[in-house]
Amino acid sequence: MYYGYSGAILRINLTDRRVTREPIDRKLCEDYVGGRGLTSYLLYREMDPAIDPLGPENKLMFGAGPLTGTGAVAASRYVVVCKSPLTGTIACSNSGGFFGPEMKFAGYDAIIFEGKAQKPVYVWINDEHVEIRPADHLWGKTPEEIDDAVRAATNPLTKVACIGPAGEKLSLLAGVVNDRQRLAARSGVGAVMGSKNLKAVAVRGTGSIRLADPESFWFAALDVLKKVVNDPVSFGSFRAYGTANLVNLINEMGAYPTRNFQEEVFEGAAATSGEAIAENILLKNRACFACPIACTRVSEVKDGPYQGRGEGPEYETTWAFGALCGVSNLEAIAKANFLCRDYGIDSISAGATVACAMELFEKGYAPESDIGFPLRFGDAEAMIRATIVMGERDGEFGALMADGSYRLAAHYGHPELFMGVKKLEMAAYSPRVFQGMALHYATSNRGACHVRGNTVAAELYGIPKYVPPDALEGKEELVRRPFQNSTAFVDSSGICLFTKFAITHREIVSMMAPATGIDFTFDKSIVQGDRIWNMERLFNLRAGFTAADDTLPDRMLEPVPGGPRAGSRAELQKNLQTYYQLRGWDERGVPTRQKLAELGLEDIWGVT
Amino acid sequence: MMQIHVKLYASLRRHRPELAIGQSFECAAPDDITVGHLIDGVLRLPNAEVAIVLVNGVHSERERPLSDGDQIALWPPIAGGADGN
Repeated sequence: MYYGYSGAILRINLTDRRVTREPIDRKLCEDYVGGRGLTSYLLYREMDPAIDPLGPENKLMFGAGPLTGTGAVAASRYVVVCKSPLTGTIACSNSGGFFGPEMKFAGYDAIIFEGKAQKPVYVWINDEHVEIRPADHLWGKTPEEIDDAVRAATNPLTKVACIGPAGEKLSLLAGVVNDRQRLAARSGVGAVMGSKNLKAVAVRGTGSIRLADPESFWFAALDVLKKVVNDPVSFGSFRAYGTANLVNLINEMGAYPTRNFQEEVFEGAAATSGEAIAENILLKNRACFACPIACTRVSEVKDGPYQGRGEGPEYETTWAFGALCGVSNLEAIAKANFLCRDYGIDSISAGATVACAMELFEKGYAPESDIGFPLRFGDAEAMIRATIVMGERDGEFGALMADGSYRLAAHYGHPELFMGVKKLEMAAYSPRVFQGMALHYATSNRGACHVRGNTVAAELYGIPKYVPPDALEGKEELVRRPFQNSTAFVDSSGICLFTKFAITHREIVSMMAPATGIDFTFDKSIVQGDRIWNMERLFNLRAGFTAADDTLPDRMLEPVPGGPRAGSRAELQKNLQTYYQLRGWDERGVPTRQKLAELGLEDIWGVT
Repeated sequence: MMQIHVKLYASLRRHRPELAIGQSFECAAPDDITVGHLIDGVLRLPNAEVAIVLVNGVHSERERPLSDGDQIALWPPIAGGADGN
């Protein structure tokens, strides 16, 4: 009997159509928690990390956490895990909405897709009934169209995770879209789904989640609810303003990457800020499963060339198609956001790729004859055209853009114009100003992502406590434990990170223990986060990554040209070795035998 | 007396609704006034409403004395990413 967990992994081989159900190993739950931790472990164990990520040997895993679907605050999360075709690292993209809880109600903590279907299919999972159905009629459709069609063919309450046209074309910026508009966006996980000819996963679950000690669970969950709704940041700010209220703040700090990271102050910040969104295009909030925060914005551009309506734009998107492209037109930014949804692509990498293309054009490296039109910073119309070309994978230039800015810049012989790490584009916080982010971008297991170690919380608004962004002392430990390791734990529990301004691991384990009947504790949660992080590192080492890949673009070592932080630069080399030591790794960034033994990982690491 | 340039962001804008987003206004203040005294004594903003203070783009404590021509930007508690522990 399982509690909290649904207790089963559903395994679907798309080559031979075999469907199997396996019980979850309780020891794995104790060691890797669930969600991100569990699926990352399974990926490592079941697959050679050196395989071709767009080949049939790659495995695509959907993983929900033990708390997902229980009704705990914001317990909506699931992950999509595979080897990334964009970066070659482990990929683990996180998303909210309602798909993860539905997996649990259907009886599954994880769903694993193996092999490759001969023709486009979608998989219909209706509690214990699993069907692999033809999807030719869905090919080419947008996520909203797919959601409509699949629910009409199955059940109005079905939850759908799918790929847009970009994933079908194996564009490396493609994500997995669930609940019509939410994305497990980064790392090209949508391309992996497309490489398997898997257009959609439809889930309907009529079961419920058993709780080992319902009274203690609900007591703890109500305590968390009270903390969250009384917290000025989690609830007061996110609910009222969403994420884009960071625009003016980061810009006033002089840390707002502009025109492909050439500058860090944007003259169009006020016009493209959270305040501007609220005044001009915001319609209302939207929430995920069991979440009172409702941070999602729903916005609308009523008419004109950028007409559209939908969720977003969020902070990163507003930045990527705003300051990063030098564009001050908020409606165009919103339109780019809606296009990313319709194509099913990662808006951070997409905006960053357009920005890279702009710099390549302006410097004369990418000729207009290749692009088809002038593509300058600040040109909103050209930005939209470029986004469409990228989403459609239209022509040679469209194909280059669709595979991200690393490959685009390399093609034109200027890899120094790629603003990312391990082929993943950086996010909306300058590593020249935030030294914690400099270290995190360089060392994050999936490349330069921000969210899995977002030290901006400490370096900007003082959670857990304020540390100046330019300070170096103590940043190694800050990045390692309260950010990277902790986020690994939270991602594995199924709770949304946005609760973490109000609560800590203590509150999360206070729900996990009575939900599951397993002895989750604060002390163990620290080890679990560490173990999950190291597991991901081992995958990457096996895939061929080395310490040389823990780096930043050269531009980040140049001084900020203007604004309040003029002269500041990323000081990564001053703290990278200390970070390795604190992690229990050698000077090559490889976990030592002692560290592996401490985490119980020695038997799975065979490389000396 | 000194001239301090003030910007109010997010919900603090309700205190000066006539201003555009990011538009600053000039505030006359006694010499060497601290950030804290400017906020509650001169601008008369409720303390609980002001969480983040940047003086010339850098985080400042309430005790910091201001200089003539300083730019101060104020926010309520806001955020946009994720945090730790």
